[in-house]
This record gives sequence, structure tokens and C-alpha cells, in this order.
Amino acid sequence: MTCHEVRESLSAYLDEALTPDERARVDAHLETCADCPRELASLRATVTLLRRVQPVRAPVGFVDRTLALTRPRPWYRRLAEALLLPLSVKVPVQVTGVALIALLAVYLFERTPELKQAARFDARPDAPAEDRPAPALRPPIGAASTPPAQRAKPVVPAPTAPPAAEPGASQIASRGESDRPDTSGRRDAAPQSPAARVQPPPAAAPAPAREVGAFVAPTGAPPPVKKEALGAAQAEAERRQAGLERSQDAARSAPSSPAPRAAATPRVLGPADVIARVAVQDRDAAERELAALIARVGGTVVQRRSEEALTVVEAVIPQPRYAEFSEAVGRIGSWQVEAERPDLPALIRVLLRLQ
Amino acid sequence: MAYQHRVFGVALRMLGNAAEAEEVAQETFVRAHRALGDFRGDAKLSTWLYAITSRLCLNRLASGERRLVRQGEDALLRLSDANPRPDTALERGELEGALGRAIAELPEDRRIVVVLRDLEGLSYEEIAQALDLELGTVRSRLHRARADLRDKLERFLR
Repeated sequence: MTCHEVRESLSAYLDEALTPDERARVDAHLETCADCPRELASLRATVTLLRRVQPVRAPVGFVDRTLALTRPRPWYRRLAEALLLPLSVKVPVQVTGVALIALLAVYLFERTPELKQAARFDARPDAPAEDRPAPALRPPIGAASTPPAQRAKPVVPAPTAPPAAEPGASQIASRGESDRPDTSGRRDAAPQSPAARVQPPPAAAPAPAREVGAFVAPTGAPPPVKKEALGAAQAEAERRQAGLERSQDAARSAPSSPAPRAAATPRVLGPADVIARVAVQDRDAAERELAALIARVGGTVVQRRSEEALTVVEAVIPQPRYAEFSEAVGRIGSWQVEAERPDLPALIRVLLRLQ
Repeated sequence: MAYQHRVFGVALRMLGNAAEAEEVAQETFVRAHRALGDFRGDAKLSTWLYAITSRLCLNRLASGERRLVRQGEDALLRLSDANPRPDTALERGELEGALGRAIAELPEDRRIVVVLRDLEGLSYEEIAQALDLELGTVRSRLHRARADLRDKLERFLR
């Protein structure tokens, strides 16, 4: 047996894993060899060292955690685990959701003209009136910019036609202005709706007092509106007037139909034909009565402003029934005409100051 | 020593990382629990458990699933220093560190044999059964492992 063969067997020799025959041969070699016993000693020392290695202990809780794994989980735990996605799934899903909502919001904004209009209004409240394709959309900010078109609107006397017919009429009107988006037609219709007659747009409320003064001033004097804007508004009002008359002729059955030709004159666009003060006890009640009265005589409320001690109601009354109207107003409160145009048009613009 | 400590100890020595060792040890028991019907009475239960653990460790070491190998080995090197017993002398701590390092540096197929033989005390036959090896293979691998360790631990052998 060579030293090499013996050395290969020394581990097994130490472990007593050799056959008796092998063991005897290794023993015989070790007695005669000088180096192999040293080799055996070093191996034995190594094994002794290894046996001194501290045994490792499983961490605390290991048995419980392992038993939990082998135990079948109850159905509600499995359901909860299925429903409650791991964070690695949940977070990307939520991020994607937020991004999609943001994209949808931008998309809707881009595709919806109303929202764009609203945003534009907020962004540039001082934009000149000429910029606008539809001056009527411009909210009344001050006396100078009170849209003439809005004043022109009430020229529409829908005497006995049911209120439901009015939006239809205004749609026809807006159809005449083909360059305008469809939505502006709906906007125009809003102030004419029955609800708006009682409650005008809130933007009209904080108008300064001097504005009222401007209306009280000389009869027939044009309001301080920019020339171009006024011209454009007048032209537009005429166009609209023409459209409305066509639609009304079809629907109307009232006896008090105003003369259409006269109504189309630009004069109705000017300031009030009649300015009167009505002293009343209860302004709110008076206002309601007045609204009812205006509707009864086939007129339309154009504008309404309520201030601390004053409510200004601007209405258009068909001339044939003006006498009836003035008589009835006299019953609401003490009615005092401050200014009156000598030649009253077919549609009389009346500015009443309830005090 | 209860089975969980032995199984965990083998996994820790093989993988060098407590978290991975716990995973493997748990999987060992889960598999044993599931395959209890397959357990043949001709082997000791401990041998059977060692067999499962060893196979799981060697598979994991061989597969790409085992990431952070170096980090794990570093952890293994720290292992013996991490929990010094109150009665442990500085010299002994040093020895434990050197031993742990030397074992961790062995090739995996030799490491598992020396761990099962010299740390866990299995017989050659049990090791051959657990690792599904010939007795001669167990013997030669064990001898190579011990010779490696002797060379590395020479300064402690005086």
C-alpha cells in the first residue's frame, strides 16, 4: 500500500468506516511510515476542531411559522389574500388609474366647449368685447361692458306662447348665426327661461350704483358702450330678431302681436324708453307682482338688479298693452314716471326702480 | 437536538443566510408533512429530513434562483462572530470564525458531506442515502473536504 492510497483512506480510518482488511493494511503502513502518522494526526485534530463548532439553533418562532404553513388556511384568509393584492401589484394599478383619470379630465376639457369657455372667462375677464365671437356670452362686468346683445334679447316678446316654446325660439335664433358653436344658443336661452326671469344671473347683482344713474339720464342717450361693440350687437340683434319673428309668427296666437317691422328698429336697443320710479312697501313682493304683470301683458323681463335700497327691473312691454301695464303698476305701488320718450316704439323698454 | 434546529443548521451552513435558510427549512417540513405517506420506515426520520434539506439547498445553490451569493457568504463569515456565548474566550471566537469561513469556502458537494458528517454526526451510510451517492464517493468527498479544512486551519492545529 502506497502512502497516497493510505492517505486517501485516513478519513475513513478515523471514522472507523474501513473494512477490517483495509484497516489492518493501513495500520501496517502507519507503523513503518514516518509522514503518514503526522498526516493522520493533523486530520484527527481537524475533525476534533469541527466537532467543537457550536450547533446552530433555528430562530425563535420558526416552528410556529412552519406550522402555519402546513395548516390549511381558513377560507376567509384565502379570500382576503386573493382580494388584497400585494403592494407590488396594487401600487402600479393605482398609479395607472390616477394617470388615466388625469388624461380623461384633459380629454374632456379639450372636447367640451363649455368648460373651455368657462376657463377662458376666468383667465381673461378684461378681454375686449370685440374679441368674442358671441358678445352675448360675455358676462356683464360694468356699465360699459353690459352686453348690448343681452338688452336686445328681451325684444323677444313671447306674449302667450308657453315658456317651453321659448328655448325653441332661441335655438332657431342661434341657428341663424351659423359661425357660433351650438352651445352659445343654449346659453342665450338660459336668461329667457322662466327660472331666469325671477332669478337673473348673479353677475348682474353687484353692478355699481352709477350704472343706474346712467339709465336715469336723458332719454334716448346711448349708454357708454364701445362703438364697434354696439354696432355689432345691433346687427346681431336684428338678425336674431328676424329669426325670432319667423318662429313666433308660426307659434303665436295672441291678439297683442307687436308690429314686427317696428320692433326690428335699432331704437329698442337704446336705453329705456320709459324710466319710472315705483315706491312700494315690500320690494320682493312687488317684484313678484311686477314679474307676473309683465308676463300677463306679454312683456319680457330683460334685466334685473337688486341693490340695498333699490331693485331695478328692466322690461320690454308691447306698446298696445302699455296702458294696461302702467295702470296695473300703479296698483303695485306709487308709480312716478321720471322720463318718457315722446314717440313710444312698438316694444317699449321700461326701466322700473322699485324703492 | 430537535429536528428544526438540525434542518435549519444544515441549511444555514449551506446557504450562509438566515432568511434563505429559514425558507429552505420551512419548505423541508412542508414537504415532509405532505409526503409523510411516502416516508419509508427503512430510513431514520432524521435522515429523510436531511435528504430533503440537502436536496433543496443544492438545488437552490445550483439554480439561478440563488442571488446575492457573495452577500450570503459574507453573512456566513459573520455568523460565528455574531452570537458569541458569554463563556467564549476571544481565542475561541477567532477559531469559530475561521472554521465558519473555511467551511463556507468549500465546494458545495464537499461542504454538504462534511457538514452532515462532522457537524451533524451522520454515518457514511446515512450520508450516502440522504445524498443518493455511492459510499466510496461519500468517503472521498469527505476526505477532500477535511484535507482542505486542515490546510486552512493549520494555525489552530498546534
